[in-house]
Amino acid sequence: MVEETTVREPKILIFACRWCGLIGADGAGKKRMSLPANFRIIPVECAAFVETDAIIRALASGSDGVIVMGCHVGGCRFNDANHAAIKRLELFQVLLEATAIGKERLLISFGTAHEGHQFSDVIQNYTTVLRELPPIDPWISTLSVRR
Amino acid sequence: MREERSPMLEEVKRLAKTALQEQRVEGVLGLKKDVGNVIQPHIFERSDDLDALVLEPKWLFAKLAMKILRVSDTGYRLAVVCRGCDERAIVELVKRNQIAENSIMTIGIACGDAQAAACLCERPYPENIAAGEKKQGVDPFNDERVRQFLVGDTSERVARWLRVLRRCIKCYGCRNSCPICICEPCKLEDDTWVPKGVIPAEMMCFHLIRAFHLSDTCVACGACQDACPVGIPLLNLQLSMRRTLTEKFCYEAGIDRERKSPILRNFFDEEEKGRDIPDWVSSLE
Repeated sequence: MVEETTVREPKILIFACRWCGLIGADGAGKKRMSLPANFRIIPVECAAFVETDAIIRALASGSDGVIVMGCHVGGCRFNDANHAAIKRLELFQVLLEATAIGKERLLISFGTAHEGHQFSDVIQNYTTVLRELPPIDPWISTLSVRR
Repeated sequence: MREERSPMLEEVKRLAKTALQEQRVEGVLGLKKDVGNVIQPHIFERSDDLDALVLEPKWLFAKLAMKILRVSDTGYRLAVVCRGCDERAIVELVKRNQIAENSIMTIGIACGDAQAAACLCERPYPENIAAGEKKQGVDPFNDERVRQFLVGDTSERVARWLRVLRRCIKCYGCRNSCPICICEPCKLEDDTWVPKGVIPAEMMCFHLIRAFHLSDTCVACGACQDACPVGIPLLNLQLSMRRTLTEKFCYEAGIDRERKSPILRNFFDEEEKGRDIPDWVSSLE
């Protein structure tokens, strides 16, 4: 189709907990699964390490969406730290919704990506979600985008 | 108006006078009407001076009280004439170990209907009311000024938010006036998060970082938007997060002196006071 050339692929930044999300990403690589090339991974020790400020920074620097991947609830290595993380991120989604940026910009994925094929599904589904959203560009002031 | 106010003022003066005379406190922080009708905050340390005490306009003393107590000698006790929002801010500051609990005493006054409507305040009264009548609060989500930002069509709301946020001149008034914004050093001054020399402030970085840092602490006093020189309705950023905390965790900042913020706790420890595990969690295990 003609319009495909003009469509910009959404960029995704992933904060992956190294006990779950990162293992999933690793598995997807080992199995040579076909993945879209529009994401970058930042490994973190635990999903609770991810500050919302970093998510805001990522969105303001030009990512279209951010995924936070952690272990499933009850499976955290750090004394249920991911409970606090879920609450915090859910509350942050409320803020995103209030400012009409849209809570879809942040995907919270806890325990849904520790196999290669699950990881690949998450990315592919999220990419289609992001394509439907209106562009985030008006929110970004051109002076400060760091590429 | 004045006729209504005066018994409340007399009551506050009486309480402050007794507290000073019985030496329960060393100073009373309140508003003083000075020569030339200038109204400004003042620490009344002698009970004779208290005739100059006034209650209007709305003035938040929480941060001021914190700073006074920081520089004063140990053992200095302060009484604060405070409204509902001010009392909640003091409770939050005590919870965060910024004010020693035994060094502060509150003389709570309830706001009138007019003030509550002006602030769109849900709780225009302190927990310990010393003077005045408890008035019904206003639900901010019924007000058109709030609804146009928080409810409705997305593209219209985006345009509306961008229009007001572009006016920002990055004066840091919202941060400085906020009674609970106390971190040292502040992330908003760090080049990593908020690039220096960019005006208007980066819309997402500056405003969302500030708003989210106060998400579970905001007492909805409205000091930020009163301080804003370009009239950005900053309180609208907080309202839906406050509403979510109330609905999901039965938590409201500044009400409970013991309970910590739910976003710092796990799901298991919260059980007795209401909890909410997101729907999607149950499908995982």
